[in-house]
Amino acid sequence: MNIATTQVAATGPQTGVTLYSFTNPWLTRKFDLKDLLHEVARRGMGPNIEIIGFQSFREFPDVSDAFAEDFRRMVAEAGLNPVSCAINSDRFLKPGQQPIDDAALVEYHKRQLRSAKKMGFSLVRYQFALPVHLLPEIAPYAEALDIRMGVEVHAPMWAGHPAVQAYGEMYEKLDTPYLGWIPDFGGTASRIPESMLNAARATGAKESLIDKLKEVWVEPGMSHEKAGRLREWGLAEGHEPDHIQAAGLAFFILSNHDPKSWAALVDRTIHIHGKFYGMGDDGREEAIDYETILPLFRDGGFTGTLVSEWEGHAYLSDDGFDQVEKHQAMCRRIFAGH
Amino acid sequence: MLPVERIIGEEGLSATPDGLRLAMRLPWYRSLPFSTIEVGGVTIDGAPVDLAEARVEFDGAVWPLGELGEQTNAFWFVRDSAFLHIPGVAATPGSEHEVALTLFVSPPYIPGMKRHNLQTQTLRVA
Repeated sequence: MNIATTQVAATGPQTGVTLYSFTNPWLTRKFDLKDLLHEVARRGMGPNIEIIGFQSFREFPDVSDAFAEDFRRMVAEAGLNPVSCAINSDRFLKPGQQPIDDAALVEYHKRQLRSAKKMGFSLVRYQFALPVHLLPEIAPYAEALDIRMGVEVHAPMWAGHPAVQAYGEMYEKLDTPYLGWIPDFGGTASRIPESMLNAARATGAKESLIDKLKEVWVEPGMSHEKAGRLREWGLAEGHEPDHIQAAGLAFFILSNHDPKSWAALVDRTIHIHGKFYGMGDDGREEAIDYETILPLFRDGGFTGTLVSEWEGHAYLSDDGFDQVEKHQAMCRRIFAGH
Repeated sequence: MLPVERIIGEEGLSATPDGLRLAMRLPWYRSLPFSTIEVGGVTIDGAPVDLAEARVEFDGAVWPLGELGEQTNAFWFVRDSAFLHIPGVAATPGSEHEVALTLFVSPPYIPGMKRHNLQTQTLRVA
């Protein structure tokens, strides 16, 4: 190992995992939280981890002191490091009615920030559903608590999306290290994962529907418009509604913006969601061009954690462990410059 | 069926002194406030069940089904079953019935999205 690679190992990007990757064995109750943390540690997938507050903690959004203490003990015993707690910007608590008012939404965030801090997380993932004009109110609270907040840039958003640009302007104005970005690479997929297409085929979707999906997916437009376009075409062509729905999943979790566009966000990136769907035998992700994306962060000075985030559970029953192991190996290889 | 599609809970159907109790699972990857959930309907052996007097029980709390939409600060933990209590409907313990449950989920951070979930399963009454 030469000096340069030693420095990368010591100060460069870290790999980790989000427990979201293991949604399937979590929902089927194969693991409780303690056992899942130990399984992650046993497989060497840590130490850095992300947890979705509303997925893994029964007491969320208001975690008690007693549970926070239990959790700190659990992660310490497993030898893990709780880096990121994903919080949610739930504005639409009553479907079909007006969103909750700004004061209530700010308080909803503060409750989750307090819980995350208490449990020992060093940052939270938050969402664009928090209107940008509330950032000046939230930022001082995060600073006082000493916990960073990263907004997740998730498909259909990307660096060039108007909402991302509005946040960027506010970030420049507030200029605090407590606010940053969390890129999710699903926004810059190069193609629809073959595993997802195969899942649609397995439900009975015909090849002509799959072909049309691929065609519409790369057209310009909003996700729901494109989904509507496929639906209209599919119904007119006699495809089953269930097949159209299975095929249309792709519009809501993936979009095909330029992988190099992440370069604009590297400086304020505090954490990364390494979104992925399937690792090929060639050690590459089937839909997202990691070979192009990761060097932007490696060479741009990113020193936080990339957590592997397997989302194949949206259409497969696998437990996610083998996929995460392969994904982490790929990310470590690219971060090391190989 | 994917784990995230399951809406009839592992605890199944049981007879209670005043009717039936059906276990339900939340078909989402994270906990949600009960106000974002609607029970779309239940049929037993093909016959629609009257839910006018039904109640929902979760973690020691009980609400009339009709007031579920008000529960903005009660969260359905995604790993736990909630229970639908249906008074006035009798079934013999040990008998088997085909139960169909429909749930609607409106994730509170995705305006306008309403997911329809239907599951049909033959259950033995406990």
